[in-house]
Amino acid sequence: MNAAANPLLAVDRLTIDIGGAKVVDDVSFTVAPGKVMALVGESGCGKSLTSYAMLGLLPSAARRTGGRIMLGNTDLAALSERQFRKARGKDISIIFQEPSASLDPLTTAGEQIAGAYRVHHDVSKTEAFEKARQMLVDVGIPDPDRRLHQYPFELSGGMCQRIMISIALINGPRLLVADEPTTALDVTIQAQILDLMKKLVAERGTAIVLITHDMGVVADIADEVAVMYAGRIAEIAPVHALFRAPKHPYTALLLASVPKLDDAPKADLATIEGMVPSPSEFGIGCRFADRCPLATDKCRFEQPSLIDCGDGHRSACWHIDRMAEIREVAA
Amino acid sequence: MSETKNVLEIRDVAVHFGGRGGLLGQSGPVVKAVNGVDLDIPRGATVALVGESGCGKSTLSNTIVGLQAPASGSVRISGEEVVGADKRKLNDIRRKVQMIFQDPALSLDPRSTVGATIAEPLIVRGIAKGKELKARVATLLQQVGLRPEHADRYPHQFSGGQRQRVVIARALALEPDLVICDEPVSALDVSVRAQILNLLVALQKRTGVSYLFVSHDLGVVRHICDRVVVMYLGRFVEMADRDTFFSNPKHPYTKALMSAVPEADPVVQRSKERLILGGELPSPANIPAGCAFHTRCPLATEICSKERPELTPRPDGARVACHHA
Repeated sequence: MNAAANPLLAVDRLTIDIGGAKVVDDVSFTVAPGKVMALVGESGCGKSLTSYAMLGLLPSAARRTGGRIMLGNTDLAALSERQFRKARGKDISIIFQEPSASLDPLTTAGEQIAGAYRVHHDVSKTEAFEKARQMLVDVGIPDPDRRLHQYPFELSGGMCQRIMISIALINGPRLLVADEPTTALDVTIQAQILDLMKKLVAERGTAIVLITHDMGVVADIADEVAVMYAGRIAEIAPVHALFRAPKHPYTALLLASVPKLDDAPKADLATIEGMVPSPSEFGIGCRFADRCPLATDKCRFEQPSLIDCGDGHRSACWHIDRMAEIREVAA
Repeated sequence: MSETKNVLEIRDVAVHFGGRGGLLGQSGPVVKAVNGVDLDIPRGATVALVGESGCGKSTLSNTIVGLQAPASGSVRISGEEVVGADKRKLNDIRRKVQMIFQDPALSLDPRSTVGATIAEPLIVRGIAKGKELKARVATLLQQVGLRPEHADRYPHQFSGGQRQRVVIARALALEPDLVICDEPVSALDVSVRAQILNLLVALQKRTGVSYLFVSHDLGVVRHICDRVVVMYLGRFVEMADRDTFFSNPKHPYTKALMSAVPEADPVVQRSKERLILGGELPSPANIPAGCAFHTRCPLATEICSKERPELTPRPDGARVACHHA
């Protein structure tokens, strides 16, 4: 299950700076073709910035100050805007949380999908429309001929997200970045979209970088998980290992704070005291130290790097050997 | 405070929109957002209202607090009728029911200090002023896990979780019998979610307040609620006590919802029986005849498209509206 064997995407020591603060700090991970890597974390952990950097979509205040983003043999982080335009939508695509906000309200679904195809392929409108129609069939939209000619406001949220996925996949990208793709959808529609994504990954071998805060979605679809905290990767592991035996206190507490089947009703849930530090408050030590029940002076003064625990499981914690104590706190 | 057993009693409530006086005198379709609904919430209990966008759960919440007049039916809060009550009466009743919304940032006035926000209902009702008012606000802040000195700060100086605490403090200021919580933790980060859920439970233990908890997150519902009601296109399709509901769900829509919510455990999630619904929620302006769910139901037969099933009691106490469950 190690993606490192032949990665499609290799993010290597990526560092992004906003106003002098390292909001993404030394982030590395790889994704193999046909695999789903979940970037998990709370607001402000840097998961979205990491993924925007892959598409050259960083906000103007943010600057990449170090590291590489290798897609095959290309360093995406070094591309000019002009070169990015060729790659974006073709080699790498993105879908966002709110499909209705991502679609052009004045253009029909068909024109938007066909348009995305024609940017990268020199074909006639008719051909591109045929391609778009086929794509709608692939993403499970019934009555595609009618839908092609409808505007986003005529389509439901789930349908709009399928249109977004069609636009993202029409050029057969090798990598799809999905930024909270189901957060705005109802659960029954979420289940449909997650199943669709699983099917597309399996059929097309597209790799997915999935950004989410929903541990249920991670448990459903991810192969590997990187848990981010305050701009750094706290822990990275194959999905089963991460849920079975988390090796970072933050992950363990995060998992314990989600209500479980066998919890007593209305019993106190585990919580994490305090708040995520803002980038100006990042200290020299472990960024989780102030909230961590295991923290010692070493944690406050020395920043831990990812330590290999075997089987692709790595954790950035000085006290991996004391994880049993966390399980007591969380229980 | 009156001592009726139920803080909320709803009987046969229907809420319709549109239908007459449309643009250019045309009559539009009648949207039956809520249709013939009965619900009791006992004192000190938490009842979950579960369903997808457009099922009518927000319309029902609005009707309970008197923000929306029903087309027919009765809504009693602590024994007092909301429907048809005059302004003064309604004002009295509203004191007993409060609301908490999903996004605390949108529920707070950015230009008021949180102290002023929490004090407002107390001032409006003439309950406290001066020193006493200040003391009440301080106590409320402490009850929700904030500090008295936070009263002088503005909403933007707080995190999302803290803002939701402020909203909860404001809702509790008038010591309501019932608080309607409309997706109160959906907009919050996971670790903060647990803090707010713990707070809601602790406040209920201390004050005996009842909650109507509107949510689509069945994990949260299972954790916090005593009873669960599932709504589909304006009607209740299943209602049961928590344990019965989760151990033995009966309506095919309930089962579909349960199978659709991903469990935060890859072993459970990947081995569980999946029942993925085809299609989408039909428009409430055009509700299918018979059982409204028959267009998406895996069990549907001929009778389902012709006859609407009534909520009927089952031996384990659940009530289910299905011909085949």
